Parts: sequence; C-alpha cells; structure tokens
Amino acid sequence: MSNHDQHESSHKSVKRKEMSRRQFLSYTLGGAGAFMGAGMILPMVRFAVDPLLVKKTESVFVKVVAESEIGNEPKEFKFQINQVDGWYESEPQIAAWIARGQDGKIYALSPICKHLGCTVNWNTQGDNHYFCPCHGAEYTVDGKQLKVAPKPLDEYQVKLQDGNVYLGPIIPNTRV
Amino acid sequence: MIKSIYNWIDERLDITPMWRDVADHEVPEHVNPAHHFSAFVYCFGGLTFFITVIQILSGMFLTMYYVPDIINAYASVDYLQSKVAFGGIVRGMHHWGASLVIVMMFLHTLRVFFTGSYKAPREMNWVVGMLIFFIMLGLGFTGYLLPWDNKAYYATKVGIQIADSVPIAGPYIKQLMQGGDIVGAQTLTRFFAIHVFFLPGALLAMLAAHFIMIRKQGISGPL
Amino acid sequence: MAASSKGNEKVVYVGDSRIRKGTSPNIPADYSAFPGKSEAFIPNFLLKEWMVGVVVLVGLLVLTIAEPAPLGYPADPLNAAFIPMPDWYFLFLYQLLKYPYVSQDYLVLGTVGVPGIAFGALMLAPFLDTGKERRFYRRPIASSLMILSLIAIVYLTKVSWDFYTHELRLTNTIPEHKLREEKAREAAEKGQERPNPMKKEKPAALVDADDPATAILKKAQCITCHAADLQGQAGIPALAGVGDRLTKEEIAEIVTNGRNNMPSFKEQLSTAEIDQVATWLAKQKAVQ
Repeated sequence: MSNHDQHESSHKSVKRKEMSRRQFLSYTLGGAGAFMGAGMILPMVRFAVDPLLVKKTESVFVKVVAESEIGNEPKEFKFQINQVDGWYESEPQIAAWIARGQDGKIYALSPICKHLGCTVNWNTQGDNHYFCPCHGAEYTVDGKQLKVAPKPLDEYQVKLQDGNVYLGPIIPNTRV
Repeated sequence: MIKSIYNWIDERLDITPMWRDVADHEVPEHVNPAHHFSAFVYCFGGLTFFITVIQILSGMFLTMYYVPDIINAYASVDYLQSKVAFGGIVRGMHHWGASLVIVMMFLHTLRVFFTGSYKAPREMNWVVGMLIFFIMLGLGFTGYLLPWDNKAYYATKVGIQIADSVPIAGPYIKQLMQGGDIVGAQTLTRFFAIHVFFLPGALLAMLAAHFIMIRKQGISGPL
Repeated sequence: MAASSKGNEKVVYVGDSRIRKGTSPNIPADYSAFPGKSEAFIPNFLLKEWMVGVVVLVGLLVLTIAEPAPLGYPADPLNAAFIPMPDWYFLFLYQLLKYPYVSQDYLVLGTVGVPGIAFGALMLAPFLDTGKERRFYRRPIASSLMILSLIAIVYLTKVSWDFYTHELRLTNTIPEHKLREEKAREAAEKGQERPNPMKKEKPAALVDADDPATAILKKAQCITCHAADLQGQAGIPALAGVGDRLTKEEIAEIVTNGRNNMPSFKEQLSTAEIDQVATWLAKQKAVQ
C-alpha cells in the first residue's frame, strides 16, 4: 500500500479522483431508484413468467377401446381427457387413429397434421393414405410423411391392459 | 455510444432543455425536510404518484391472468392469487396500493388545503387535482367489482342504486353502468373496460396537466 | 427565402419549417424571490423524496406479504346472510344514507345532495375562498368547515365500522374472506387440496332410476325445467338428491301448489300420481 502511495505522490500530474457531492448524490439517487424499481418490478415479472417455470404435469393413460376392436385398417376413436388449463378445467374430446401394424403391435396416431396443424383423415382419396384437406399433405398408414409435411404424424403412447387399449401422452413417431 | 445516440437525437429534437428544466429547477428551502422537518408534509403528492405507478404496473400484470367474465372472473382471481408464484403479492400490491393511494391523496389534498396553496394563481391546478381525486375514487369503485365475489357484487349493487336515485338522469345512468337488466355479465365487462381503459386514460391526462401546471407555476411560496 | 434575409424578417421560422421561432423562451420561475437555501431537484431533492418512497415501498411489500388481499366467495345474488360493506373510503357515504332526512323520501339528498354540495364546494374552494391570506388560522371559515367535515368523515366511518362489527357478532358471522382463508389453511394442514368454491360437487346419482314414477315426471314435463338428468339448471334446483333437503310431504306440497317460479301441478296430476312422484323423489338422497 505504502508503495502505491509513494508512487502516486511522485507523479504530481495524477489527479486523485474524488467523488464530488453531486456525484455521490447522483449515485445514491440511482441506487434508491434501482431499489424501488426492482422492488416493484421483480415480483411482477416473476408473476408473469410463472408459466415458463411450472412443471409439466404427467398426463395419465385413458381407456379408449377394447383390444379386439382394433383391425389392420386404421379406425378413428374419440376419447375424453381431463384438461386443466389454468383456472379452466374441462374434459375435451380428442381423437386417435388406432390400428394393428404389420408387426402385430397396436399403435395410435394423432390426426394433427405436422404441416400446419389441420386434422388429417384416413383414405379419403382411396389410396390408403392419411390425407390432410388443408394443403394436401399425405402420410402412410404408419404416419410417414409423403408430401408437404416435414415430419411424420405423432403417436400416442399405448398401454394394453386387461384386453383394453389405453392411450397416454403424445410422443414423436417411433414407427418410421 | 449512448452519448453519441443522445447527441444525434438532441441535434434534431433539442431534447436537452426538456429534461434540464425538470432536473435543474431549484427546490426552495421551505419544502425541504432537511431544513425544516415539518416540510415532510410536502412529500404526499410525490408518494401518490409513486403508488399510482405501482397501481398501473401491477394492474397491467394482473390482466395477464384475469378474465372479465362472470363465470371465470372469480376462478381466475382465485387462481392467480393462490396458484401463480407471487400472485398473492402482485394482487396484494394492487389491493393495498389502492387504499394507500387514497390515503396519500387525501393527505396531499389536506396539505394543499391547509397551506392555502390552491389560491390564485393555482386555482386550475386545484380543480384538476380534485378531478384526479374523483377518478381515483371511480377506479376504486369499479375495481372492486372485478373479482366477482359477494362483496364485489353487493357493493356494486348499492353503488348502482345510488346512481339510480339521481333525479331525472338516474335511471339512464343506472342502465349505462349496469349494461343489462341485472348486475351481471354485462356490468362486469363494462366495469372492466372503465377500470382498465377509460379511467386510467383520463387519469394520465389529468396527471400530465397537474404536473405541467406545477412546473409552470412552481410550488407555492412559504407561509 | 427566409434564410437569405434573416436579419430583416419580422417573423423568423425554425429551420425549413413554417414554425415561428419563439420569442419568449420558457424560463422556469426561479426561487430567488424566496429567502433561504434552495437546491436542485435532481439529484438533491429527489433523493429525499425517494428515500421516503423506499420506506413506503418496503412497507407496502411487507403489508402484502403479511396480509393477503381479501377474496370472498363467488357472487351469489340469493345470499341473504352476507353483510355487504364497501371499501373503507366509501364508508362515510354509506353510513350517511342511514340517517333520517337523507333516506326514505329524502334519499336523493343523501346520495346526491349532501355529497354533491360537499364535494362541489371542495372542488370550487379556490373560487369560494378568494382572500389573499394563505395561513389556515387566518382563514377561519374555510378551515373550520374543512375540520368539521373531517370530524364528520371520521365519525361516520367509525360508526359504520362499529355497526358492521356489532352485526358480525350478533349474527355470529365470520367475514367470507376470513372464512375462506381459514378453510384453505385447515385443508393445507391436513394435506388436502385447497377447497375450490367454483368446483361443483359431484352430482347426486339417481336412486331407482327405472321406477314408474319417472314416467310421470316426463308426462308432467318436470324435465323441461329440471333437466332431463334431473340435475337442474341455472336457478332451478336439481331433483337428484332432493331427498336430502325435503321430506316427502314437503315435496308433495310443492308439486301440488308450486313454489317461487314453479307452477302448481294439481291440474295435470292426480293426487295419487303426486304421491307416487313425491315418494320417489324423497328417496333421492345423495348419501344413502
């Protein structure tokens, strides 16, 4: 320290930077302002970004149909899920196209087109494809995209229990 | 960098005098609590404004969750208060801030009254200040219908009934406030619009007038 | 054109616009007229203001944490047990309306007259109190009127609040927002989910749904109002679970003579049929 002091005193031209009263007041003012701003805004910002920070709730499996009703041809089944959207709790109906694949496994596709989110339908063009009426996207029976869409159709997680098909959360297609 | 941007704008718009006028104006001794402690009575106006800012900000954030609809209003308030992080605090700031703003404004009004600061040449500023007072009361009245709980409902019914008792115009005012035939869905959306758009708009205009006049006329002199 | 002959022009415009150059710049009033020390608004004076602001903000935040904003139960127009109270700053007006000469035939005096005169006078104060004197003790009329109004406001507010607390004690009511908080706290302590007043209870299931009495219900068109599943609809009570609320005799009485908006059914149904329906409805209990 003393070394440093000596060094400084040896240079006459070095001006010690002292804070003027006005500067001090300005910094204090800035500090008080920042404190007030933060005290006000931080709770509100945390309040606003809450949706980013809440944990996603695991969706449960819902019984949809008896296993025996599933054929090789995809068929549409509607089922109700319990949906809690903030303060609004509802039981909307959603659809799944369920079929038994070549490998004998039952799979369920979500009919939401991966292009822009319209609803696809099976075999409306007589070519055994899923067809989307909005922009003409087509998918194979396994949900593989043929035209327009960038990705294959999503799948529901399937669980078989006591001869019934249970559908769970939506996952990316595992069959293509 | 910031300085050069500032200079660029200043060259074109000459903004320095605007804020210099506010920043550098001299504040006289008689309102300065450092010289006379009793001068703290002069702080209530500033505090009213500070809490008004809190009210505006917290209100803006509350509308991210609130819905003005008789089925969902209560549910959304309940949700934002108990399920959303810091919801209790933000709603609390808005609720208690509303009371605090009335208190501060009341004290500010009394200060101005008892120091006779409303006298010439500041009559207009007093009238504008009273208008701000009424707008604040209006904000309080329209605000507490919004959660749509029993207190909200009955207080609004009484308030509308009071409006109804005005001679001649009463029934029309009532109908205008109520929207429909009952205090219900249409009343709630009306009160929401008034609380969130109309009154704050009027309030901001009045505040601007209030401040411009203070700047123009200066604080009233010592007694 | 203006640029070339700037000196001779009577009107000088700003730049290339048609805006006149101001002749009297807006110089703010300074306080050199006042004796004593003045100081700059920023940073000296504003700092003092903001120090108070910080205290107020901390106080407000502490208040919000200590005392959650009250929320009662959802609005229910049929709730007769609720004691309505406006916010505290309207209490004096609310109390005023209870006195003679400002209520009943004179209600308009209480709602418009007295407050109108008081607030009107306050608003026009600078035009009513036009003297030069600013000190309040040299303005006895204005000051005494204000002090009187303040005393009146404080008094009315206090009377109103006392009446409310008295009423609460008398009817043994806990204010709704307190009750709700209490229930939420109890549920939390037991580890249950917070009670949600918006959530309807599970509708009561029908008992003996294929009883012949249901045919009478269809015939008498009960289901057009009470809904096909007998769960009722807006403002009309559910018949499922009605046995918990009413006895067989009461049901028979209501069906025969009607109640509130419900018409009498003694024309459409025979006494035996009413008895059959009432017997069946009395069996409709949610809890067996």
